[in-house]
Amino acid sequence: MSGHSLRAELRSELLAACVEIVGPAGVISNPDELRVYDCDALTFFHRQSPDLVVLPTTTAQVSDLLKLCYARRVPFLPRGAGTGLSGGATPHAGGVMIVLTRMTRILDLDLANRMATVQAGCVNLWLTKAVEPHGLFYAPDPASQTACTIGGNVAENAGGPHCLKYGVTTNHVVGATVVLPDGETVRLGGKVPDLPGFDLLGVFTGSEGTLGVCTEVTVRLLPQPEAVKTILAVFRAVEDASTAVSGVIARGIIPVAMELLDRETLKAVEANVKAGYPLDAGAVLLIEVDGPRAQIEAEAVGVEAVCREQGCLEVRVAQTEGERVLLWKGRKEAAGSFGRIAHRYYLQDAVVPRTKLAHVVREIEAIALRHGIRIANVAHAGDGNVHPMICVDPSIPDCEARAIKAGSEVMRCCIDAGGTVTGEHGIGNEKREYLRYMYDPADLAVMERVRSVLDPLGLCNPGKIFPDGDAGANLAPATARGDR
Amino acid sequence: MSSVAVIADELRTLLGSMGVRTGPGLERYGLAGRMPRAAVLPRDEAGVAGALRVASEAGLGVVPWGYGSYQSIGSPPLRYDLALDLSGLDRLVAHEPADMTVRAQAGIRFARMQSHLAAHGQFLPLDPPLAEGATLGGVLATRSCGPLRCRYGTARDLVLGLRIAHPDGTVTKAGASVVKNATGYDVTKLHLGAHGTLGVILEATLRVYPRPEVEQGWWIGSVEANVLQDVGNRVLASPLVPDRVEYAEPAVARTWGAPREGPALLVSLGGIRESVAGRAADLRRIVEGQGAILVEAGGSPRICASLSEFPWSVRGPADGSPWAIWRGGVLPAESGTALAALGEAVTPLAEMEGAATIAHGALRGVLRAASAADLVQGLQAARASLAARGGYLVVLDASASLREALEPWGVVPEGLDVMRRLKQAFDPKGVLNPGRFVGGI
Repeated sequence: MSGHSLRAELRSELLAACVEIVGPAGVISNPDELRVYDCDALTFFHRQSPDLVVLPTTTAQVSDLLKLCYARRVPFLPRGAGTGLSGGATPHAGGVMIVLTRMTRILDLDLANRMATVQAGCVNLWLTKAVEPHGLFYAPDPASQTACTIGGNVAENAGGPHCLKYGVTTNHVVGATVVLPDGETVRLGGKVPDLPGFDLLGVFTGSEGTLGVCTEVTVRLLPQPEAVKTILAVFRAVEDASTAVSGVIARGIIPVAMELLDRETLKAVEANVKAGYPLDAGAVLLIEVDGPRAQIEAEAVGVEAVCREQGCLEVRVAQTEGERVLLWKGRKEAAGSFGRIAHRYYLQDAVVPRTKLAHVVREIEAIALRHGIRIANVAHAGDGNVHPMICVDPSIPDCEARAIKAGSEVMRCCIDAGGTVTGEHGIGNEKREYLRYMYDPADLAVMERVRSVLDPLGLCNPGKIFPDGDAGANLAPATARGDR
Repeated sequence: MSSVAVIADELRTLLGSMGVRTGPGLERYGLAGRMPRAAVLPRDEAGVAGALRVASEAGLGVVPWGYGSYQSIGSPPLRYDLALDLSGLDRLVAHEPADMTVRAQAGIRFARMQSHLAAHGQFLPLDPPLAEGATLGGVLATRSCGPLRCRYGTARDLVLGLRIAHPDGTVTKAGASVVKNATGYDVTKLHLGAHGTLGVILEATLRVYPRPEVEQGWWIGSVEANVLQDVGNRVLASPLVPDRVEYAEPAVARTWGAPREGPALLVSLGGIRESVAGRAADLRRIVEGQGAILVEAGGSPRICASLSEFPWSVRGPADGSPWAIWRGGVLPAESGTALAALGEAVTPLAEMEGAATIAHGALRGVLRAASAADLVQGLQAARASLAARGGYLVVLDASASLREALEPWGVVPEGLDVMRRLKQAFDPKGVLNPGRFVGGI
C-alpha cells in the first residue's frame, strides 16, 4: 500500500511545519523514498507508507514535532532501525514517522557509576563496543544487535540469547528522556535509585512506541565476567534436549544462555554457515556459562552430567575463542539460514514454562504433521522462549492458510501450557488478536487505561498492541521473511 | 455517606460476621494516631473485591493491610474508614522448582515463603527489613529490599506477574507466570512501590534462585571514607560478582562487629566453595592494593541479617528523645562520601548513623536529636546535603512528636502530573490509601 492517508492540504501544511522544525534535510516526503519505511522486519504482513518521515536530531525537535501532531490530530509513530519482528514500526494508516537514526550519540560514559546515557538511535552493539575497553558490557543482546537501536530495544523490551542470566532490557534501563504524546518532555528514573513515585519507566519500557517517543536512555553496564565456557550437547531427540534444559536449571545452575536447535534448524544452518553442527542429531543445545572461573568450571561439569543423564550423544566444549565464535555463529545465523529450506516462513515467539518445553515441542511436531507442513524449532530454551519457524512451501496447496492455522494452534498450545504469546518480539500489529488468548477484557482494559492517560487522543502509534473491537477480526497474521 | 452500621452490615453479608470487625480490636490498625471505623478480613479474592466495591460505592477511604510492618511509611491517610486486612490470603499457591518460579498470595509472611523455598534449596533473593512479620504484599507494595539487591536487583527484577483488585471490585492479572514476557504493557511495574494507591496486590508470581552453597562475608576497614568508597567501586567494577557491598558509618560498623574503629565495608560472596575461596583471594588483592585491611567476618549470616534490618532495628531510643529513620538515594560512586557529608551537615543538630548499598547508591539511616525542633532542622540539613548531589531523602518512620511536622517524601518526582492522572484513572474516587503517597497521591 502506498498513497497518503492525510488530506493533501493538511499534508502540505505539516510538511512545511516539519521543515521549519528540523530543516529540509530532515524531512522525507517523496513517495518512493517513503516506501522504504512501509514496514519493519515483519515484511509480509500489513504495509503502509507514512505520509512524512522526519529525522530529528534533538529532544526539543521531537517535542515540537509531537506538539505539532497533537495540535493537528495527526497520528505519528517512532522508528529506530526497523529491525522489529512484529510490525510495531509499521504505520497503521499513514501519519508522521519520527525516525531516530540521526540521534546516535553516546552522551555520557559514566565509568565510576557503571552507567551510560545514549541517544535513542545509538546502535546496541556500538554501546557494547564503546564500553568493552573498560571491562564492561551492556547485557541485552538481541540477534539484531549490529543494527537495532537502544531506543527500539526500550520500546520492545528486547531480549536476546544471553538474557537467561542477565535479564532483558527493562532490567538494565535506569532512566529515559521521553517525549509524551502531547509533546511534554519528562525524565523518567535516573542514575539515583528508587525515587518515590509510580514506576513510569517500568511501564514505558516495552510499550512498543505507544506511550511516547524515547529520545535518551540511561542504562546500567556490567563488569565483564572473568571466564566463559561454551558447550555443545548433541541429543538423539528434541524431547531429551528439552528435558535436559530444565534438568540444568533444577540443579541450581543458571547458564548465561541455553539455546536449542532442532533437526530442521541444524540442516538449514549447516547448509548455510558450516558451524560444525552434527546433521544426524535430533537436537543440540548450545549452553554457555560465565562468571568466576572456579564457579563455571564446576557448572560446566554439572551441565555435562545433566546432559549425559538425558542420554546425550556427545558433549563438545569450545577450546578456543575461535571455536566459541563458530558455535555461536550457527545459532546467530539460524533464522537467516531458513531461506535455504523454505521459501518463506512465519516466525513465532511464545514462552512456556521450562518444565513444559518437552511437551510443547512434541505438540508442535504433531501440529506440523496434522497440517502437512514443516516447522523448525529454535529456542532460547533456558527461558522457555520458543521460536517455531513455520515454513511456507508454495508447492503445498493452501500453504499460507495452513501456516496461519498451524501458527494459531501453536500459540494456543503455548498459552494452554501456562505460557505467553511473546517473549521479546512484542505484539505490534501482528499478534494483537492473540492478546485475547492471554488476557481477559478486564486485564486489557487496565492497559488501555494507562494508554488513555498518556495518549487520550490515541495518536501515538495507533493500531498496535490492542486487539480491534471484534474478537477474531484480526486473526490472520501473514508470513514473515525475517533475517534473524 | 452511609452510616458505618449500614456499611458494616453490608460487609457482613459479604464476608460473614467473622470477616468484619468494629469496635475493640481495631487498635492494631492504628495509623498516626488514627483508627479505622472497621476492619475487614476477607478469606479470598472475591472477598477483597467485594469489600472494595462496597467501600467504593460508599466513598470510604481504605488502607490495605498486611502485617502493618511498613505502615509508618508515607503521609497519614486523608480518610481512614476501612482497614483491608489481607492476612487471610496467605497461601503459597504454587512452587515449581525446575521452573524457578513461585506463586503466592499477598498475605503470606515473607519469612514463611522463604522457608518453604529453602526446603527446595531455593530462595527469593530479596532481603527486606522486618521479614519475619512482613507480608509478601507489603514488601512488593513498598518495594522494600536490602543489601542483596547488589547482586539480584529489586522486586522490579523478580516479579513476573500480579493479580490485582481494583477499587471498583474488578480483579485483573498483569504479567505472566513465565520468566520472559513482552505481551502488552508491563502493568506489574506500576503496582510495585505504589504503596497500594493504584490497586490491591492479591497474588504475585516471582522468579526464585538457587541458594548459594557457601556465603562468606569480609570486613574491609580504613580510616578514610573515600578509600572505602574506592575499594567498593573497584570491587563492583571487577568480575567478583559480590552478593553484598555495604558501606557502614563508624557507629553502625561498631554495632555490627567490625573489627576496628572507623567506617567499614562489608562484602559478601556466594557460590560454590572453590569459587568463593578463589574470589576471596582476588578481593584481598583489591583491598590491600588500596591500603585497606581485610578481615573475615565471623558469623556472616547474622551480620547480613542485621544489615537488612537496619535502620528499622534501631527505632525509638528508650529515653523518648526524638528520632527518625530514613532512606535515600545518590549516585552509586558517591554513596559512602555522601553519607559522610550528610553526617557533617546534621552536626551539631542531630546524630546520624547510616549505611549504603553502594552498587546502587541506596542509603539508609537514623537521626537522633535532643529536641523535635533540632531533629526537624537536622532532617532539612540532611535533605539539602543529598539534594546538592542530586539525591533525596524519604522518612520511613519517626517518633510520634515529629509525625505532624514532617513531610515524609521530601521530593517532587518528575512526571508527577502523569502520576496524578494515573491515580485518577485507576482510583477515581480516591478510595485506596488516599493522600498517603508522594505528591499527595
